Amino acid sequence: MSGEPLWVVLGAVPGAWLRFWLVNQLEPWLPRRHWGTVLVNVSACLLLGLVLGLEGRGLLSSGGVTLLATGFLGSFSTLSTFLAEVQGVLGKGEWAQALGLATTAVLGGLLALLMGLALVSVR
Amino acid sequence: MSAPMGRRWRVPRELLLVGAGAVPGALLRWWLQDPLVANLLGCLLFGLLMGPGAARPRLLLVGMVGFCGSLTTFSGWELQLQQALQHGRPWNLLALLGGTLAGGLGGLLLGMGLGRGLAALGRQALKALRAGIG
Repeated sequence: MSGEPLWVVLGAVPGAWLRFWLVNQLEPWLPRRHWGTVLVNVSACLLLGLVLGLEGRGLLSSGGVTLLATGFLGSFSTLSTFLAEVQGVLGKGEWAQALGLATTAVLGGLLALLMGLALVSVR
Repeated sequence: MSAPMGRRWRVPRELLLVGAGAVPGALLRWWLQDPLVANLLGCLLFGLLMGPGAARPRLLLVGMVGFCGSLTTFSGWELQLQQALQHGRPWNLLALLGGTLAGGLGGLLLGMGLGRGLAALGRQALKALRAGIG
């Protein structure tokens, strides 16, 4: 048993704080609040790609990966709020909007993750 | 470092509440070792808290923003999708995509229904209790 839970907690608290703070800060600048959640989630994927890329190059210890990937980015990104927002849009009968929101988030996250991995991968 | 007199730095109460929820939420996700299970459970709980209505700001911060927000993960889900793609497993990819979206939305709705039912039951019990006492 290592200190893994400690790394998780040390990353999770600032991750949740930053998500809460950023979504609130972004709200006045965006047409709808849910785009703030998308920005948070997509940026978490970009950062996850960078972290895993650095790990692949041997530049991060396993404790560092647990702190950053499992703790910080796992808590920074969120699925429950994202899906509640999709559901809220669906509830208004805005099917195309909901589909657009979900597609943007999922594809944006995947592309961001690949980009992060590519940015630091070994050539 | 000494702070200027009379200006103590304090963590706002909102952040304390979010942090208090985030710690057990993230630990549970780590312990489950499976983003799909953590995500579905988090959506169900989120719905349960959302169902009775946004009456309690403290419950919202601890339970929804802190606990459910940290229990569920978007980046972990995307990593699994990317791995399924990389290993050439299109069925795995589709199952993860559809399972998370449909399961998460279903969990939310189920939780909301359960939450509303439980809240109504609680109100009835309270009323009966008050009538009994009165």
